[in-house]
Amino acid sequence: MQTPSFQGTHLWDRLCWAKENLEPHQSDYRVVYEDSIDECAKILVPDPNWMAAALQGGILPPVQVYWELAKDEAQPGFKKHTRGYLLHNTKPVEAMTEEQALEYLIMKDCPQHVWREWDSGNKPKLVICKKEQLPATREWRNAWKISEELATDKTVAA
Amino acid sequence: MAGKIVADTLEHSTAGSVDTQFVVNGSAKAWGHMNGSGTPAYGDSLNMASITDNGTGNYTQAFTSALANVSYSASGTNGDGSAQTGGAICNRSAVYATGSYGFTTTFTTGSTPAAYDPSDVSTSINGDLA
Repeated sequence: MQTPSFQGTHLWDRLCWAKENLEPHQSDYRVVYEDSIDECAKILVPDPNWMAAALQGGILPPVQVYWELAKDEAQPGFKKHTRGYLLHNTKPVEAMTEEQALEYLIMKDCPQHVWREWDSGNKPKLVICKKEQLPATREWRNAWKISEELATDKTVAA
Repeated sequence: MAGKIVADTLEHSTAGSVDTQFVVNGSAKAWGHMNGSGTPAYGDSLNMASITDNGTGNYTQAFTSALANVSYSASGTNGDGSAQTGGAICNRSAVYATGSYGFTTTFTTGSTPAAYDPSDVSTSINGDLA
């Protein structure tokens, strides 16, 4: 199905179009990351409707738009967004592969200090894995950490 | 966009009229239904980009189309499919953001609330979009 020309259309309206016209895509990928040494590993799961929109192309704004809005929100005294038009008027990104979509989502929804310096420590701060590589049950969930022996251990968070 | 109707008012032949801004303002801007046990995943949703499992009974939903401010209204329910879910509640986290909504799920046994991973979590966000 061809995506309508959406530049200038409110992003929310585009998402409504995507929900009505696209088949949700439940990804097998998960993003495991640690943003604090005092906290357990976090697991980011893509939304199936969002992934469908990413794979389709022509719907989502460039990820940099979200960074601009985040900068505005971080200003002292922030009350409300005044540059929401960036979401709606910026040319949408083309169709992505599932791997590219995950990279986009990491840069959108993971803390910047995690993905910008994901490999700066003794072990990765962020790992993309398959759902099957996570522990099968949630036992000791609040103690899960990224394994320090990724190369030899198929379980990346345990 | 095909099928677009531009109107400020909807009028019924006998029941009166309603300003369409009530429809726009009153509609949920984001909602999601997910299974929070195992690896959480959305079953169905609108305007969600991802769900992050932060630990037992602790989640962050990220929106695709951000809210205009952090004063939006959020509501949620959770349960595990049993008759024992009367004390199960969703609590909004202390950190508010326009692009995401953090919450915890707890279950009260006796007088002690404890974090838990429900098999069924529903949330709905009302407010103004950016």
